[in-house]
Amino acid sequence: MATFTERMAPVLVLWLAVFLSGTWAVDKGNFKTCDQSSFCKRQRALKPGESPYRALLETMELTNTRLTLQLINDNNKVRLLLELYRLQGNMTRVKINELKPLKPRYEVPDVLIREPPTEPLSLLSQDENGVVLSLGAESQRVILSARPFRLDIMEGRDVVMSLNSRGLLAFEHLRMRKDTSQADPEAEKKEEAEPETQPEAAKEEEKDEAGMWEETFKSHTDSKPNGPSAVSLDFSLPGVEHVYGIPEHADTLRLKTTENGDPYRLYNLDVFQYELYNPMALYGAVPVMLAHNAQRTTGIFWLNAAETWVDISSNTAGKTVFGKMLDYVQGSSETPQTDVRWISESGIIDVFIMLGPTPKDIFSQYASLTGTQAFPPLAAVGYHQCRWNYNDQEDVAAVDAGFDEHDIPYDYIWLDIEHTDGKRYFTWDPHKFATPKEMLQGLMDKKRKMVAIVDPHIKVDCNYKIHNEIRSRSFYIKNKDGGDYEGWCWPGSAGYPDFTRTDMRDWWASMFAYDQYEGSMENLYTWNDMNEPSVFNGPEVTMHKDAMHGAWEHRDVHNLYGFYVHMATAEGLIQRSGGVERPFVLTRAFFAGSQRYGAVWTGDNAAEWEHLKISIPMCLSLGLVGISFCGADVGGFFKSPNTELLVRWYQTGAYQPFFRAHAHLDTPRREPWLFGPENTALIREAVRQRYTLLPYWYLQFYNAHRTGEPIMRPLWVEYPQDPATFALEDEFLIGRDLLVHPVTEEGARGVTAYLPGKDELWFDVHTFQKHNGAQSLYIPVTMSSIPVFQRGGSIIPRKIRVRRSSSCMTHDPYTLYVALNPQRTAEGELYIDDGHTFNYEKEFIHRRLSFASNLLSSVNLAPDAQFSTRSWIERIVILGASKPSKVILKTDDGQESQVEFDFDASMSVLTVRKPGMNAGADWSLMLQ
Amino acid sequence: MKLLFSCSLLLFITAACLSGSASSRKLRGISSSYKRFYRERRSFLCIDGSRVIPFEQVNDDYCDCEDGSDEPGTSACPRGRFYCTNLGFRPHYIPSSRVNDGICDCCDASDEYNSHARCQNSCWNLGQKERAYVEGQMRTLDEGLQLKQQLIEEGVLLWREKQAQLRELQQVAEDLQIKLEEHRRRKQEAEQNLKALEAGHTRVRRQNSSESTFRLLDSNNDGSLSVEELQEKLVLVQEEELLLSEEEAVALMGGGRQMDLPMFQQSLWDVLNTEERVKIRGSVDAEDPHLKAADTAAEREASSLKKVEEAYDTISMEISDLRTKLAIDYGPDWEFLFLNSQCYKLSVYEYTYTLCPFNQVTQESAAGTEVSLGSPLAPLPEMASATIARAAVMIMEWRKTLA
Repeated sequence: MATFTERMAPVLVLWLAVFLSGTWAVDKGNFKTCDQSSFCKRQRALKPGESPYRALLETMELTNTRLTLQLINDNNKVRLLLELYRLQGNMTRVKINELKPLKPRYEVPDVLIREPPTEPLSLLSQDENGVVLSLGAESQRVILSARPFRLDIMEGRDVVMSLNSRGLLAFEHLRMRKDTSQADPEAEKKEEAEPETQPEAAKEEEKDEAGMWEETFKSHTDSKPNGPSAVSLDFSLPGVEHVYGIPEHADTLRLKTTENGDPYRLYNLDVFQYELYNPMALYGAVPVMLAHNAQRTTGIFWLNAAETWVDISSNTAGKTVFGKMLDYVQGSSETPQTDVRWISESGIIDVFIMLGPTPKDIFSQYASLTGTQAFPPLAAVGYHQCRWNYNDQEDVAAVDAGFDEHDIPYDYIWLDIEHTDGKRYFTWDPHKFATPKEMLQGLMDKKRKMVAIVDPHIKVDCNYKIHNEIRSRSFYIKNKDGGDYEGWCWPGSAGYPDFTRTDMRDWWASMFAYDQYEGSMENLYTWNDMNEPSVFNGPEVTMHKDAMHGAWEHRDVHNLYGFYVHMATAEGLIQRSGGVERPFVLTRAFFAGSQRYGAVWTGDNAAEWEHLKISIPMCLSLGLVGISFCGADVGGFFKSPNTELLVRWYQTGAYQPFFRAHAHLDTPRREPWLFGPENTALIREAVRQRYTLLPYWYLQFYNAHRTGEPIMRPLWVEYPQDPATFALEDEFLIGRDLLVHPVTEEGARGVTAYLPGKDELWFDVHTFQKHNGAQSLYIPVTMSSIPVFQRGGSIIPRKIRVRRSSSCMTHDPYTLYVALNPQRTAEGELYIDDGHTFNYEKEFIHRRLSFASNLLSSVNLAPDAQFSTRSWIERIVILGASKPSKVILKTDDGQESQVEFDFDASMSVLTVRKPGMNAGADWSLMLQ
Repeated sequence: MKLLFSCSLLLFITAACLSGSASSRKLRGISSSYKRFYRERRSFLCIDGSRVIPFEQVNDDYCDCEDGSDEPGTSACPRGRFYCTNLGFRPHYIPSSRVNDGICDCCDASDEYNSHARCQNSCWNLGQKERAYVEGQMRTLDEGLQLKQQLIEEGVLLWREKQAQLRELQQVAEDLQIKLEEHRRRKQEAEQNLKALEAGHTRVRRQNSSESTFRLLDSNNDGSLSVEELQEKLVLVQEEELLLSEEEAVALMGGGRQMDLPMFQQSLWDVLNTEERVKIRGSVDAEDPHLKAADTAAEREASSLKKVEEAYDTISMEISDLRTKLAIDYGPDWEFLFLNSQCYKLSVYEYTYTLCPFNQVTQESAAGTEVSLGSPLAPLPEMASATIARAAVMIMEWRKTLA
């Protein structure tokens, strides 16, 4: 240990030097390009052409649930097994593995919520060239061509998607190392036994290339004992010019073509000061891509947890708008097409093709595979105040008091790594946080909560209980030589628990029990950082790929690590309350399915306008692939924002799902009241707007939890046929009904918002000014402006009595904002539950509010559910109304009463005064 | 008259009691100075004058007035405020949003009249504590004032003492100045005298002495100088104690080992007279008693001048030191003068901090490394005395912790 420390000290010093040197950009040299990643380089060297793979139709087996057949590579005679499933909900699953791999190849567990239910496939026709299978109704078919092998998914006469049409299917079969295979008589015997599958002659043609059996990046050597194992497949998308998804990248919402640079990389990495607008890998990876055009939306889910690169090319990418127009006029244009190619370092090909056809179909299809957004406690939808670090208990108390003094609501105050006793998670600094329960009780008295960080790297210290238990249970990830893997992180030398193990995760979860996690209470929640995992002295600041998780290499599971940490932590928070309370856990690393365990944020951004801007496409991209609970550090993590940027960031963050301010240790303090009374007022107003809308936000989370639809969504999701929306990323929708165009330009005097929908009306939520849809609207702005519009035809519930925290507002009355569309109708929902337990599964209020023919009524959508509320309806504001002569309220006991109202003729706003009915009751309101 | 008044008062009280809860609801959350706005009438005028509403709508849990004045006792208005009467303690306003939020804000529990929060009236206890605290503060303040008075007296005395010291030093310096001039003059005279004598002597030597010098050097009187003779009689001016080396002697004789008179007059004689590097052992100057006396006198004058100069410099430095110290702002009545030249220590975790007011602050870690944290109270004449006062308070607290 001592010698290790000594050996590592210079590394740490060097690292600190880099850290403190203040060069404000990622050091790209620390991270691999495709050329520096040997499998990517090898695979990318393959050019489109005729595929060497041939389908052996005589091996085809078709059962009720699946089709299997063998593929053979005519170059090396290695056989693959293709499995094809038709899944419920209009999806097709294509699985390709080696027919007889030398040893098993990794298949990703735990990400799918269940084995996806299948539907029968039927054979439509077959000849020596291939087979045609029916995908159920709607004339959807799969054509499997034998020579060369390719799959085409058809709808009527149109090709929706083709697989291996460019011949880039590649499967690096597992093989014996040449120098060892000669000396291994067992292996030779095997070859003799199966001469027809692997003839000697064919095998000798294959040459070892550099990097196949060992690869070095900077000072790190990857031993690669299993040799090359990459897989790759291409997908063609005719008629598609817009593809989205595959987060996490600091890039535009609409993915770019990658022909002139590196592919998009998916490899969870702790990137120090990441750069914007490029395809470099970041903290999380969701291998899901959406393809969209005005007719159809499709999706590709590439279920592989190894390092993955995605190439995108397009036949229209180089063309100017004018060129495209010319093509169109001359009718000479080839169909626009986007080609995509996925390359992974190991594992198998297991791909889910989601056939839509609408964006919402895609969300429900993907949700049926990996689950939906965890339904958070209501408080977590409020405002979070974080900083690295709040120094001690007095500091926490002072900041808490500051919010009261300045009348700004908040729900959670956060503690970063400095709260621990020497970066030993689950402990408290004995001087600075000597009485954590006292502190937590103080917050609880104000109905507020706290989040403390728990990272997965565990200090190697024989006086640390957590470390001793993990070591004694042999729960640590092992290095290639079988010892406990040790890396350098915040505490110095650290071990990394093997979260891929169920027993490890169970044990970890048990550590959150109140009697295990000393100083914890029910209002303490958790934050998982550094779970890529971050290893300061590892290759690319992460773990060595040849580290071992039982039988599997870290290479196979890398992108799953953060997912599992998040899963185990969320489970711990559930268990500590006996399964009663909903957890809230924030994670930095994630994978497909991470939405089931809580929130994510976009990592260590910077206090720059460009970072504010990119928070929108980054969270939109995550929402498209199921991860709705997304936010960026308000104010920017690195550097110090000027007040204008800080205010604008609060205004933007108030309208994004996860709303947390955070700041680096070295930056000056930036609590909302430190920038003069004017700016305090601006920030207060932004946070208050968030709190008035909490009923609407909470409803969005409930719907995301039920349907998998994103909360923060690109406009094209709701207006899929309007190409003007396809690349918009400076504005977004919350649910269907609120359109937000935050001000993200320094010194802005105005913004131009696109209001979609040619038959829509949009109402400015602040002025109630009415605007027509399908127009670009210039909106002059001042420092207090947050351009937000409510869609005509919607009803939005708010609570306008903003209090200290969301819990303080539980029993408050609602105000309903009814915005009429041109048909003078509107619809909305109201959802109420206890706000923090799993009882919502049975105990809740869910009502449909609808306005038509001058009658506004509340109808129970969940008659079987039981919940009662003290909340009532205090006000109804109808936008775009005409003046009634009287307003009559009819309650469920049949009583009718006249209600007072106020009418503003200049804005056509009718305000119904204090109708007073219970929010959970049936009622109707008649305008006469 | 008096009776009539009492009766009407009684009637009013009865009426108030009869009207019961409605009236108390109307008056909830209002300070006595604002009660005039809420006199029961048919209508209520929002305090900002913006609107008239029926009086029933005051405190009916719905916000009608832009300024929130119709709902002083509920949480209905976003910009409203609620008055905690807090009988027995201090009254104060809270934002309306804290009314019935389940958290006890007013010590009289008046803000949580319709919530599940179990608030107890703690105003009397708080008042007691507050009064005790204020009394304590008063005592401390009195003690502090006494202490301050004492420090002022000490400070004034010390200040006067230092001023007197300064004046004394200045007097001494003036005396020294006069002495200094006298000594400078005397030294100059002695030096002039010496110079004149030396000039005469040198001329005599030049005319008469080449033969006599030759003879002096020619120890064995053989009419020729040898290497040994030169080594015996000549020395280097800087190193009188050392013998000339043979090589040096040979060099002085122009490379030969013998030298006769004519040769001596042409070469070595000039060297001895013009170049001041070689001289005859025991120095020919000693020969002239006048010269010697003049020389001694000059030396004596120089050394006494030097002594006076040193004394003057010392005094000047003391004066300058004292002036710098006196230029520091020790507060309007010199109450912080006593802090000068004192140091205080405080241990925080592994660090020991040493604060020497008007001088410097250092931080010493347990490992022994000392870091200067600057001189926050260093001689900064423009430093506001308020800052010093704050520092002094800190120091007093510091002292308390030490005690």
